Amino acid sequence: MVASAIPGSSPFSTHTKWKRAKKIKILGILGIGFALCSAFAATTNSQKWSGSQTTPVHQIPLKDEFNQAIVPTEKNPLPFSARYSCAPCHDYSVIRQGLHFSSGTAQPAGRPGEPWIWVDERTGTLLPLSYRPSKGLWNPKDLGLSEWDFTLLFGRHMAGGGITEPDDKEMTPGSRWNVSGKIEINCLGCHNAARRQDSSEWAKQVLRENFRWAATAASGLGEVGGMASRLKPTWDVFDGPNPDDSEWAVAPSVKYDKTLFDSKHRLFFDLSYKPEDARCLACHAVAPVSLRKFEFEEDVHSAAGIKCAGCHRHDVSHVMVRGYEGEAADNPALPAEDFTCKACHLGDVTSKGEKIRPGRLGAPYPLHKGIPAVHIERLACTVCHSGPLPAKEPARVRTARANRLGIFGVADWTTELPAVQEPVYLRDKSGKLTPHRLTWPSFWARVKEDEVTPLKPEEVLAAAGDILFPERYVTRILAGLFNVAELDGPPALIMNGKAYELNVDGGLDATAYEGEGTSGAYFWAAKKDGKFLPLFADFDPANPETSAEPEAKIQKILEALTASEAAPGKPVLAFKGFLYQIVENYLDKAEKKDPAGPAPRFSWLKEGQVLPFIPEAERAMIIALTGSEQTLTEEQVARVLKVLGETDHAFISSGKMFRLNTKGTLEAREDEAAAPVAWPLAHQVRSARQSLGVNGCTDCHSFGSKFFFAEVKAAGPLRTESAAVRSASSFMGLSGIYHRLFGLSFAVRPAFKVVLFICAFVAGSLLLIMFLITLGRFAGIIEKRR
Amino acid sequence: MVLFIVIAAVSILGVLFRQTYLRFETATAAEGKIQASSRAKTYIVWLGSQAKTIVSGESYKNAKVVLGDWTRDHYPGWLKWIFIGLGSSFAYLAASGLFFAVFIPRGMFGFPLLGHVMVGGLFALSLAATLLWRGRDYRLDKAEEAVFEGFSCPVFKNLSKTFLRKILFWAFALFGVVQAATALGSMLPIFTYETQQAMIVVHRYSALAIVLTAIVFVDITFVPQRRP
Repeated sequence: MVASAIPGSSPFSTHTKWKRAKKIKILGILGIGFALCSAFAATTNSQKWSGSQTTPVHQIPLKDEFNQAIVPTEKNPLPFSARYSCAPCHDYSVIRQGLHFSSGTAQPAGRPGEPWIWVDERTGTLLPLSYRPSKGLWNPKDLGLSEWDFTLLFGRHMAGGGITEPDDKEMTPGSRWNVSGKIEINCLGCHNAARRQDSSEWAKQVLRENFRWAATAASGLGEVGGMASRLKPTWDVFDGPNPDDSEWAVAPSVKYDKTLFDSKHRLFFDLSYKPEDARCLACHAVAPVSLRKFEFEEDVHSAAGIKCAGCHRHDVSHVMVRGYEGEAADNPALPAEDFTCKACHLGDVTSKGEKIRPGRLGAPYPLHKGIPAVHIERLACTVCHSGPLPAKEPARVRTARANRLGIFGVADWTTELPAVQEPVYLRDKSGKLTPHRLTWPSFWARVKEDEVTPLKPEEVLAAAGDILFPERYVTRILAGLFNVAELDGPPALIMNGKAYELNVDGGLDATAYEGEGTSGAYFWAAKKDGKFLPLFADFDPANPETSAEPEAKIQKILEALTASEAAPGKPVLAFKGFLYQIVENYLDKAEKKDPAGPAPRFSWLKEGQVLPFIPEAERAMIIALTGSEQTLTEEQVARVLKVLGETDHAFISSGKMFRLNTKGTLEAREDEAAAPVAWPLAHQVRSARQSLGVNGCTDCHSFGSKFFFAEVKAAGPLRTESAAVRSASSFMGLSGIYHRLFGLSFAVRPAFKVVLFICAFVAGSLLLIMFLITLGRFAGIIEKRR
Repeated sequence: MVLFIVIAAVSILGVLFRQTYLRFETATAAEGKIQASSRAKTYIVWLGSQAKTIVSGESYKNAKVVLGDWTRDHYPGWLKWIFIGLGSSFAYLAASGLFFAVFIPRGMFGFPLLGHVMVGGLFALSLAATLLWRGRDYRLDKAEEAVFEGFSCPVFKNLSKTFLRKILFWAFALFGVVQAATALGSMLPIFTYETQQAMIVVHRYSALAIVLTAIVFVDITFVPQRRP
């Protein structure tokens, strides 16, 4: 991994490459030796805690990825490298084993965690991925995703190291690691206590393929410009700035904040030994979709001042306690069972079951009065104490990694899909019910016999062409009309009670339109002062005195549309019995009866055929999809399946597999590949007074119990009525009928308790009387029978 | 749980063995002394023949007659419903409780549990009614009280059958009350998790005790004794 070491020189100095390479070889060996010695020294000397509870001040020299000291005043300094800057004291190779840096290993890391979800809105792909094998998850390798692809997709919320820092031999063709550099472990991503640490900046740098610069930019130590993604694949960090292009293909570079350095070029790192919660939440935040920010309640432990790292502890290996019950069996090296709910709230117990001391920090001891013991034995603590309370339907939440939260800027990075729902109660490995988060996969697939193989979004896009872009019929017109200076304002399409306008991403935004003329056909308009006006004022084409001005405007419009992107033909306008078109740069006006009526009607004229601006099917798609979280209609799915291959392809979404039947129509059926993917949730923890069951047994046990009978409806990118709907009890593996009846029994339970009490009281009293009489006679107090 | 299974198996088999062996001794007393070496074999053969008798239709008819007589004598008129309620509820509770405790590691759940709780209510009601209306039949008389007077070990030696039946009746009632109380306790929002766990243990062991009591009671009360 150590590529070179050139003491006292910048990689952008005037040395020729071959001279540098020679030096690199010699000094590289020395560098490796030094690094190994340092690492060894670090491992043997610094990993043992002396007992000091202060964190050393980190006023340290920065090193670049070639283990060279960074001089911020030098021209074109390299970004700092955590591997070498932290190495003198912290063993990078040991840290690399940590939970956050080993997601690329096939080793299971205990109970399932949140998968990475490959989101491609256009193709409706929501594919749950993980290198760690788990039910319902796809291994990126099996889908042909290289480490490079994976890093580009998910590096925004990754902590560096692991697969984002592959060995040279693992680099796949087509990757651009030599341009972007590797993503080293982003130590500051968690441990930087400075408020300048910016996870948004991290995500943006990763998306620009500025991998080796991302940590420097995100930490605020320097300002990073340029984009590695725009550079030629032959570019190398030694090449320095791009002399041919200072506008577009600008090579990444860093300008350090020189005020942060002392005279010896040492930088003060404001570090926290235990990361601040905000750092964890940058990647682990989860919040209900329906809430506003000020309504959101944080975890009761956080509110009480306990930090994430208070429970999720680790040593220098960064192999982290996740804190679930049974973790010790999954990872015997961890003191995991010391940090479960039970460990803190119930305290330590001896093998004989005697308590020997209260839990950590004397956490409140739960008495669980009146809760039958079976609940404690068969339910995880989190069932009653964590996540939202059960409702008619599980709550929709967004998670940082699935929905790309926490990346701020002009563009909105957040995605509505995948639809993550919670709580859904499933059994864990030990058979205990545990609240889970759940999402429904959605992807195109090749189906051979029963084997389902997901297709990459790019394969689908290539095959489907315009089918997946119905809004293009509108956007290309609107984009064309944008160039007409004579319009009163930005163009819009008025259709079906909505006004459709171009957004910054080149897509469509829909807003409600309450004006006239929305019934029946659509019409084009211009937006002025918040009002939508016709593109040109009404006039009589037969009257040459009044038609000159509007016809000039029509000419401009038709000219603009002629030049619009991918115009399928020549634009023509039919208006009040006349047909307008551009012929040899002039507006041609011919009398022609239009059966559609007097309203202006634009069309394309192609090889004598008149084509509508927006075909009927696409109109229906646009109306159905614009402004909704769905991106596909069943019509589109059927069309794409015909293109992909009717017999051996399917679209999986909303808990169903959609295939074309022999008649060529779409059919939804059950399939294991469409089953939801779930992972346990642990937060937000609620206090005892807000726990499930605090109002009594009927919180869960009633005829229409939300706990047992919440309706879990599959959500996905497909607009369909065939989405799977399941009862919560089906996820628990419980009989719905039994729990309906059992719930019903709670209606008479108060009376039952009274009867039982009276019976026990009567029987007990008679027993006592009998006992006392016998005792009295035995003692001679009561006269014996004669 | 394993401990309970062992204790339950040993105690139930022990009581069954004791009761059947006493009957075997009584039955074979007339035939003179059986040699010690062949005693076990003879006992097993005898046990087999008894089992065959039990499963025969004749045995069912006899049981019906005995129970009918008993009901008519002790629970006349509408009171027979108390006896039927007590007997049938106890049979279901004992069968379902022991089966799940011994053979199902998870314990009782689902419909059997729902039934257990509901039938438990009937049992408590029948037990209270039995004590109210028939408790007087099991008062100790003078001769029996004298046993306590001359309290000496072993206290149960040479107890009369009537006296033993009375003791068993009150023991049955005592364990029955414990059963009802522990069931009720687990439904009330009063007791902590630890207490609930303890109540389950108490419920389980008192259930075993009531079953043992019932076995002996039924044996000495309803199973006809062959005269030597």
